Amino acid sequence: MLESFQYLLGGFAVAMTLQNLTYCLVGAVVGTLVGILPGLGPIAGIALLIPATFGLNATSALIMLSGIYYGAMYGGSTTSILINVPGETASVITCIDGYKMAQQGRAGPALAIAALGSFIAGTVSIFGLVLIAPPLAEAALAFGPPEFAALMVFAFVVLSNVTGTSLVKALMMALAGLIIGTVGLDPVTGNERFTFDSAYLLGGVEFVAVAIGVFGLGEVLVNVAKPPAELDQRVTVPRFRDLYPSFEDLKRSIGAILRGTGIGFFTGLIPGPAPVIATYASYAVEKHISKHPEEFGNGAIEGVAGPESANNAATQSAFIPLFVIGVPFGPVPAILLGALLVHGVTPGPLLISENPQLFWAVVASMYIGNFILLLLNLPFVPLFANMLRVPKKILLPLVMLFCVTGMYSVNNSMSDIWMMLVFGALGYLLRGWAYEGAPLLLGLVLGPKLEVAFRQSVMISHGDFGIFFNRPVSLALLVLTLGFLIFPLAARAWRFFHGKPSADATPGG
Amino acid sequence: MTAAVALFLCGTVTVLVSLELPFGTLHMPGSGFFPLVLGLMLAALAAGHGVQLYLAKPKQPAGVPGATGGAPHWRLDEATRRVLLFMGAVGGATALMSSLGYTLTSFLLMLALLQILGIRGWRHCGLIALSSACACYLVFVRWLAIPLPDGWLGF
Repeated sequence: MLESFQYLLGGFAVAMTLQNLTYCLVGAVVGTLVGILPGLGPIAGIALLIPATFGLNATSALIMLSGIYYGAMYGGSTTSILINVPGETASVITCIDGYKMAQQGRAGPALAIAALGSFIAGTVSIFGLVLIAPPLAEAALAFGPPEFAALMVFAFVVLSNVTGTSLVKALMMALAGLIIGTVGLDPVTGNERFTFDSAYLLGGVEFVAVAIGVFGLGEVLVNVAKPPAELDQRVTVPRFRDLYPSFEDLKRSIGAILRGTGIGFFTGLIPGPAPVIATYASYAVEKHISKHPEEFGNGAIEGVAGPESANNAATQSAFIPLFVIGVPFGPVPAILLGALLVHGVTPGPLLISENPQLFWAVVASMYIGNFILLLLNLPFVPLFANMLRVPKKILLPLVMLFCVTGMYSVNNSMSDIWMMLVFGALGYLLRGWAYEGAPLLLGLVLGPKLEVAFRQSVMISHGDFGIFFNRPVSLALLVLTLGFLIFPLAARAWRFFHGKPSADATPGG
Repeated sequence: MTAAVALFLCGTVTVLVSLELPFGTLHMPGSGFFPLVLGLMLAALAAGHGVQLYLAKPKQPAGVPGATGGAPHWRLDEATRRVLLFMGAVGGATALMSSLGYTLTSFLLMLALLQILGIRGWRHCGLIALSSACACYLVFVRWLAIPLPDGWLGF
């Protein structure tokens, strides 16, 4: 453990250079703006900004992209509290009591507690990351191809289970992503696959084009389709006469913040959209244990403190599976994995030992980033909220221009822009059909890794598929995967026999 | 239903193309093994989902408008028209960027997109488009030194 803290000090030395501090600040500010702007969540925000990091080294790039991720989690609460519009999905639950507090003239304390809770949760979670990541990475070194293959199948199924409304739709999206991931050269034999004699497709489908297309452009098109009057809306930002919470507010919030931190930290270690699940779990716990449950929904400060802490704790702990085993357990870490691969860094059990400077510098930058965000979110909230005054009719063309410019800058290729447009149209259609884009992206990122792990396993065992069931870790993961597949089917059968409608049978999909 | 059919077709095409790739053996799976399995799974899931949707679709009684069995009445609604125009403008800008250069194209693209989204007044639109194009030129071309297309005009 002492060794970890020595490495962490080294990480601080790297993170505190003027260059990395600047990128950390830029990431935190941009992330806050991404979180504040409704409709532009962290996935779209990071996808749009990956090209902007190509000129940077891997450490600085990851510091900036991580800053955008947790900055968005901080910023998302601002619009939830001020105008009842969540900046990103993890802030939906904050709307309930946060907006009520704003209506009662207590927007200041709500925002301050949200920022304070996020800071405490983020900091405690990073401490957990420092403690857990190195021993977990050592344990993960014992993982062979069968364990990795089983783990990736597990991640697919669990993410499909908890994303959106339909398991079948999410599984189909994951399969589509895996198929797109096979385009290009076979990672084992080097044979061409699905290239249709196109030199452009030899290198595979550009991950950034898919990410910007499905999430960035798809989101823009969904907004374009809205009635013009809705795009014209401007927001009146309230004035903050009293930003700081009272002693009573702090007393009521501290327990909720600590419980939210614990819930969020452990939820982040489980596959799925951890920050969203963590906020719901935290809100349910706070309401359940409160002496005044009737206040929830009417401006209870615990209803802001708990979920906001939980989503930030989950955000930080979601980095653990990404860094330690190289398997992202959610959509945003999947995008970050793609960005890391673009920068030539392969996360996994060897990352900490082979690339300690990058790992510990990023962890140290998270501490610094959390502090920067606390400073930003307390006094500058009204300034950020002014961004909401820009009408979407101007914002959307600007985002579109950034998409085109960013996409071109990846490989200086017009073909990439065309590819982005194709996936943008797909992203728009997927939203209309109520299909989730996240499993598609996860499939694309993990597809080649899964294929290599699967084929290596089969080659090691000379074609004996029993290799996946003879090894305890892969067997346990496959049993869990089966459980996650069977449970919804059993639930549907139960609903069928009790006469309740099925969620999967949505016409129009 | 459209999505299920599209995904079924994707799965089927994947299977057909994979069959032309070397399958290998179970001891040594070839290039076609993995996509073939994925394609089969996708086609099967999409077919199952499509059948489920078809069976769950409520039957419309005779005499109800829309159930007459006549030719479908295709009409582009306002939202779809706007999305198509938006995509068309971006596609046009992409096609023209190599010839016109990044800065001029970004100005024209902004102008078109603002018009499509209903910002009225050419002077107002022109001002926003000009300032956006200039800002993008300064940030991306001058500051970040991204080699964006110069075009005939040289900027």
